[in-house]
Amino acid sequence: MKNLVVSLLVVTGVFLMPSLLGAANKPKPADSPIYVITNDDGTLHSYGSFYQAAGTQEAPTLTYLQSVNTHGFGIGGGFFGMPRVAMVPSSSAQCVYISDASSGDIAAIDIQSQQLVGNFSGSMNDNGTSNGIGMVMNQNYLYAGYSLSNTIATFSVGAGCQLSFLGDITVTPLNGGWVAGMALNGNILVVTYIDGSIQSFNTANGIPISNNDEQNASGFASAFFPDGVDVTQDGHFAIFADAAVPTTVEVSDLSSGKLGPTVQYLVSNTTNVIGPGVNSATVRLSPDQSLLYIGNSQSGTVTAAFFNKNTGAVTPGCSSQQLKNFYNPWSYIGGLATRDTTGTGNVLYVAEFGSSIGILTVGPMGCTLTESAASPVTDELSPGLLSIQVYPPRPF
Amino acid sequence: MRAIVKSTVLFVMAVFAVASASAQQQICPPRPPAGTLIVNPLDLFSQNGVLNVDLTLQNQMGSDGFEHYCYVYMYQGQQVEAPTLRLNPGDRLELNLTNNIQAPYGLYSQKHQMHMSMFQPGRPGAKPTDDCNGGQILPSTTNVHFHGLNVPPICHQDDVIYTLIQSGDPPFEYNVQIPPNDNPGMYWYHPHAHGQATTQVDGGAAGAIFIEGTIPGTQGLPERVFVIRQQFRNPNSWLPGPNQLTVNFQPAIFPNSPSPFINVQYNQPEFWRIANSTTQAFLTLQLQFTSGLQQLEIVALDGVPLQNPIYTNEIDLPPAGRVEFITPGLPNNQEGAFSTLGFDTGPVGNPNPPQQLWKIFGTDDPKLKVRPAPAPTKPPADRQRFAGLLTQQPTTTRSLFFSEQTVGSNGPTQYFITVNGQKPHVFHMDDPPAIVTNTGAVEDWTIENRSGEAHDFHIHQLHFLLMAINGVPVQNPELYDSFTIPNWSGSGPFPSITVRMDFRDPNIAGTFVYHCHILDHEDGGMMAKIQVNPSNQR
Repeated sequence: MKNLVVSLLVVTGVFLMPSLLGAANKPKPADSPIYVITNDDGTLHSYGSFYQAAGTQEAPTLTYLQSVNTHGFGIGGGFFGMPRVAMVPSSSAQCVYISDASSGDIAAIDIQSQQLVGNFSGSMNDNGTSNGIGMVMNQNYLYAGYSLSNTIATFSVGAGCQLSFLGDITVTPLNGGWVAGMALNGNILVVTYIDGSIQSFNTANGIPISNNDEQNASGFASAFFPDGVDVTQDGHFAIFADAAVPTTVEVSDLSSGKLGPTVQYLVSNTTNVIGPGVNSATVRLSPDQSLLYIGNSQSGTVTAAFFNKNTGAVTPGCSSQQLKNFYNPWSYIGGLATRDTTGTGNVLYVAEFGSSIGILTVGPMGCTLTESAASPVTDELSPGLLSIQVYPPRPF
Repeated sequence: MRAIVKSTVLFVMAVFAVASASAQQQICPPRPPAGTLIVNPLDLFSQNGVLNVDLTLQNQMGSDGFEHYCYVYMYQGQQVEAPTLRLNPGDRLELNLTNNIQAPYGLYSQKHQMHMSMFQPGRPGAKPTDDCNGGQILPSTTNVHFHGLNVPPICHQDDVIYTLIQSGDPPFEYNVQIPPNDNPGMYWYHPHAHGQATTQVDGGAAGAIFIEGTIPGTQGLPERVFVIRQQFRNPNSWLPGPNQLTVNFQPAIFPNSPSPFINVQYNQPEFWRIANSTTQAFLTLQLQFTSGLQQLEIVALDGVPLQNPIYTNEIDLPPAGRVEFITPGLPNNQEGAFSTLGFDTGPVGNPNPPQQLWKIFGTDDPKLKVRPAPAPTKPPADRQRFAGLLTQQPTTTRSLFFSEQTVGSNGPTQYFITVNGQKPHVFHMDDPPAIVTNTGAVEDWTIENRSGEAHDFHIHQLHFLLMAINGVPVQNPELYDSFTIPNWSGSGPFPSITVRMDFRDPNIAGTFVYHCHILDHEDGGMMAKIQVNPSNQR
């Protein structure tokens, strides 16, 4: 009994102490749950797993809730920068969509009930069995990029998480690549082809129409190829993560409605960048767009670079230590998602290829990325976790 | 004319005697167990200017759990694996290769086939029935590259682009004319069918070639030939899988098993000739006696005698590299060990851990003596190949770079070697040449490494003169056919080498390849073609 009392006091202390330290440390109210949702991508059975985020900024926790069987099949891997969990970028989101790369369908799950609503497919041509099916969406449409068929399917979003297939377009990467990274803002869809080429589309009428801006990114000449992509809230800039040595991103001005030539940024804060950043394949802006989180897939680290949302300039920030259990048993960093919908996001979740979720605290002052004591959390049903999302999502 | 087999056959026959009982079942000869005596491979010598050899390449899952790809030579009714081919400058090698590769091919995956054409169209103007006319590359397809020999890239000699030998084809006749002015030294042969080289070489398909000749300081010394190979349980695993080095097919896996060993005469210097026939192991070699680290006298690199010996106690030997050196004599009552110290290939490179390769024990028993290197039967040519290259004025300079991309967990990693200004491109068999030049040209190439792991530059048909490393001129340039470029650290200039290519010999005309000799990289597309036109076809 004595021990229990001590434990309760400690637990209570954990929750009381942060309140004295400022708003950033407030525990999340119990009536607004934050879910971390994964695409488990299992080859025999695939699931969307739900975790509840709690704790403080310094000591974030992640508690497993349940896994929803998608009734489809995954492939246990794929492109690092391909988003394979999608929801409307709004706190009003009710549905999360998880792609089943092997069975070729998209599973719709009701977020509140955590129940499968249905499975939706595009055309017979759509095939993502090589490296996955990426998805991005807004209130009206969901766009699914199929890695093997190089097609982008458009679905209209209906009530009750329903999707209706509208049609396909076929993309033609400049150098023989495949559709990989995807980002959507307003009426502009931006994609990467992991062969150095990138392209944007106008989605005003639903089915994407090329903006005739397909081009090789600046890093192409050195074989730095964009993989993941994100777009600023105002749609001014597209930011591409180069699968390259060292941590490298490229920024394109989208303000004309087309992709401009990319500007390449090496974003290390150390003289020897090889340690913290190898193969920077995934990228995610913080909610306030002050930081750019970059997943260094082959060094097991995450970099936070400073981002100027007015100019698109990227400057070196900080990098995490190599995350726990890198190469034993997990082996690549995949997608990133922030816990909170404001500020820096405060806590960053990291998809770790090999069945775990890394948890990083973003320092409230300046730039630090510190792996939490509770990290990593096992995502038991995923043979190769690459995609992750948070509800409520970042609002863009 | 059949090859003449000399003294080492007794050793070899002893090692493989066990094979006789089960020869009916054996597709590949049994390999020696760990912890036993290392013997030189069987020597086959040319006679009257010709070495005629029949080899069959076949495969079998070994009892050791590794897939074996064996070059089988039949000698007195016994299978012998991967004999050493010994020729003089000016000799002709008549090698009849039978491809008997059968499914299953081991743990071969299709990863490289995802992104490359595995069909090589025929040579321009060739008929479908012509030899060396391309075709489909299957897991059972093979050919032979005579690594380091400065011979023409043409059909029946050293062509790896159009020469594709299918399983079940009639024996393919290689008819390789060794240049009379070629350098005496160590070369090697191995399969080079694009996309299949890793699997076949990992399986052990490699053997030594010697161009006989006098290398100063080595006359009369006991000669030992070591072919270091590497075998993987899964040669195509994305993450480094269980693998081991072997020495003349004997596992070097100390301390899991006793090291292989040799017996040397006390106080007798020896002449060691080592080929790194691994698919991806960078070796850093050291000789240790009880009394301490030993100085080695390197007399030849990549088959080319050095102008001046290099004295060192550490030798870096990249995949495909060869080194020939004189060891000091083992003092009385001491023993020794020859090891690789390991090599850092960079943060995304494969591990190259330290490993003891073999032990050295001393003896006074004259029965355990090994024979000296054979004396040359021909005088050396007046003027060696590549003579005077250092003082030549380059006619062209080029810049190339290695780079690679890992864009997802399923691969494939995309490997590139790119001429600056051209598009990075995963090599396809039907690619046009990335470089076109003419016989007579002398070119300086600077090759950078823009990736996070080391690469091993190799070009077919000729040696290059190493002129500079990272832009700093090399004090005593030497000839190589393979050279390491370390990984880029992520900041500062890209590591680079500058090499001088010699296209002056008219026999170089043709189309051939350059690539990274980490064979998984080569199979993955880190390769390109160069076309050398006769100078009258500019």
